[in-house]
Amino acid sequence: MIAAGDVSAEDVTRSCLDRISARENGVQAFQFIDPELVLNQARVLDLGPATGVLHGLPLGVKDIIETIDMPTGWGSEIYDGRMTGRDAACVALCRAAGAVILGKTVSSEFAAYSPGKTRNPHDTGRTTGASSMGSAAGVADFMFPIGFGSQTASSIIRPAAHCGTVGYKATTGTFSLDGVMELCHSLDTLGFLTREIGDISLMRAALLGDSVDAPVRDSTAAPRVALVRTKHWPEAEEITRDVVEGVVAKLTDAGAIVEEPELPEGFDGLTEAHATIMPFEASRGRGFEYREHRDGLTDVFRAFMEEGQATAFEDYVAAQDLAVRCRTGVDKLFETYDLFVTPSAVGEAIELGGLTGNPMFSRLWTLLHLPLINLPAATSPQGLPVGIQLVGRHGADNKLLSDAQWVRDRLS
Amino acid sequence: MANLNELSATAVVAAISSGDCSAEDVTRACLARIDARDEEVGAFEYLDPAYAVEQAKVLDNGPIRGPLHGVPIGVKDIMDTFDMPTGWGFEPYSGRTAERDAGAVALCRQAGAVILGKTVSSEFAAFYPRKTRNPHNIEHTPGVSSMGAAAGAADFMFPVGFGTQTGGSIIRPAACCGVIGYKPTFDDLPLDGVMVLGQILDTLGFLTRDLRDCTLMRAALLGDSPDIDMRAANDPPRIAFVRTRYWEDADPTVHALIEGSIAALAAAGAAVDEPEMPKGFNDLSDAHATIMPVGSAQARAYEYETYRDELSEVFREHVERGRATDYADYARAVALARSCRADLDPLFDRYDVFVTLSAPGEAVKGVFPTGGSMFNRFWTLLHVPLVHLPVSTGPQGLPVGFQLVGRHGADRNLLSTAQWILDRLT
Repeated sequence: MIAAGDVSAEDVTRSCLDRISARENGVQAFQFIDPELVLNQARVLDLGPATGVLHGLPLGVKDIIETIDMPTGWGSEIYDGRMTGRDAACVALCRAAGAVILGKTVSSEFAAYSPGKTRNPHDTGRTTGASSMGSAAGVADFMFPIGFGSQTASSIIRPAAHCGTVGYKATTGTFSLDGVMELCHSLDTLGFLTREIGDISLMRAALLGDSVDAPVRDSTAAPRVALVRTKHWPEAEEITRDVVEGVVAKLTDAGAIVEEPELPEGFDGLTEAHATIMPFEASRGRGFEYREHRDGLTDVFRAFMEEGQATAFEDYVAAQDLAVRCRTGVDKLFETYDLFVTPSAVGEAIELGGLTGNPMFSRLWTLLHLPLINLPAATSPQGLPVGIQLVGRHGADNKLLSDAQWVRDRLS
Repeated sequence: MANLNELSATAVVAAISSGDCSAEDVTRACLARIDARDEEVGAFEYLDPAYAVEQAKVLDNGPIRGPLHGVPIGVKDIMDTFDMPTGWGFEPYSGRTAERDAGAVALCRQAGAVILGKTVSSEFAAFYPRKTRNPHNIEHTPGVSSMGAAAGAADFMFPVGFGTQTGGSIIRPAACCGVIGYKPTFDDLPLDGVMVLGQILDTLGFLTRDLRDCTLMRAALLGDSPDIDMRAANDPPRIAFVRTRYWEDADPTVHALIEGSIAALAAAGAAVDEPEMPKGFNDLSDAHATIMPVGSAQARAYEYETYRDELSEVFREHVERGRATDYADYARAVALARSCRADLDPLFDRYDVFVTLSAPGEAVKGVFPTGGSMFNRFWTLLHVPLVHLPVSTGPQGLPVGFQLVGRHGADRNLLSTAQWILDRLT
């Protein structure tokens, strides 16, 4: 619309700011926002030519991603208000593509499990899930069209599922993590929260130079779908199981072949392997904070670090070895299937007051380094979103996007 | 006892814990060596001698803190330190201080290390060198990018220096300077607080004079056992000799050295074979040459937008090559690397180690260019652990050695095999 001259970047930004002003008190998606700084960015863009693929697009940036003009607090009181002196690569690339950096969205402490202040926009008495909470809530609540998220366990998929947005976690290694806080070096992945699958392609164009157009499926036939319940299926709430089975029924009706394949040997151990690797690596990456700022850590995070410190190196190595073997095995399954369908979360968003829910349905997929998408699939009787998770082949993110669009078109 | 600055980290820890010397003695010995030599060698980007001594005194006044108690360590200038500037080898960032330690630095302090100073990195740990010279002959390059760490370890300024590798940035400086270079399996060590260059390539490692110091560092960082698993003399490794397609690009000195070493190892009982490498293997260097510029273009996007005129020409061209790369070509290169990794792994059922060249010859004369990294880049892309072993001296009086390649994740086996090999050649 900006390119067509229908609206200016300033119009779009003002309309996001109006929404934020009306709703932020209840939702609390932002860790930092300065409306004047934002409007200035938009005005500068309006004065120049529309050269980039994100021209005039307001973006929410998770608070673990560095910005030259806004503080980056890593969701921790230790670093609240800290300026880092440069933009993360992903932010610099978005600015170069014409994006308006709207503000910093709330992350849970160090993008881990402690609850942050953001509330679920569908019911402010409930959590959004951790950790890309501000980005998920802000996108769901129409404060901005796209927010950056990052995932180490379930930090994009679960907030997306609980807030009812599209969530995309790229194949691990796709995007440079320059300027993005490290939680676990072998697991961290950047991604986005959006309302449209097509917006993911826009971001990939800005960050990777990939095609700006949404990828088109290379086949007119319905995709071959593997339903993967995982061993956690009995722990999923009835609503989750019903939604997944309902989606599968719809896809079958639309001509998709849906099967439940045998999974590679060791697959059932992946969730535990992830639960071994994550605290081990996090306790090393946060070594400085543990040493110098121990009192500034929440009890939840400190206990998590101590769990990692107490983990035997041999157990860590065994967990990584299992992951390596299973990646090869899962690669082979994608010769038979286009995508996997699996739950995104245990159930709908839980009430505030404790932690943010359980990441069990995403841990193993993150460990496998595969591209993931949450699609909003249904609304619960209580009016809360329920999503499904789609899993694609390693490196075949565009294929997953096109298949996800096919699935979404069959669900609406 | 040798001069304290010449001790390995392992020997430093033993000497301090047995009361033979203090951490302060060791640090002062290193500082004296630096004082005598660093004006010529230029290993340090930042050094505050009084502050280093102060750290050592604090250690001497407390209990033994951990496996690195009293070990002076050189930290590459692309790693954050809360108490020293971190300039990424880039002039506009010189003097910039991060407010925290990189995870690996914090763990070393926790284990009792003295953070001696910041060692020189080439610009953004890439191609364009900074001031460091080869300590064996200052008219020659020390290799890039972990140049200060390699030169400082070689010149007995410290026993252990941190290095990082994205192309050949640990192995090649190690080869040029004649020290041990160890690049672990990709993703083995935490990169928190370490500048990103290549997201799917960057690996943290060490430059040392003693293989046991590599296991000591692994103990501090990973909680792995500090001891090297000694391979029995009568348990020779199965060796794959891999010449690679670049064999003819190397000079006769290193050809003779590696063939002579292979013969000596065979005489010591090692089974040696020249296996066929997996399909696609010969295309991996080209894949690396596609992948690395794309990663650098992403990672240095802010600097490209903000400081374009202050980038070296070679780095700017590298970034622009990355920006101009077609995404589909990049994705194909990444997919090739992944399939080659899967195909390479079963070869390690038959071999304990690959023996291959580290560099095309002795360190080249001059400051820039710094020589070719063709013997390193594809191994980095394969994510396997690598060790450079210094073995001999070439006709120009500069160090020569070769490279060992281990199985993904089997770093301990690689280090013990490397020790077995080193013991047979020296």
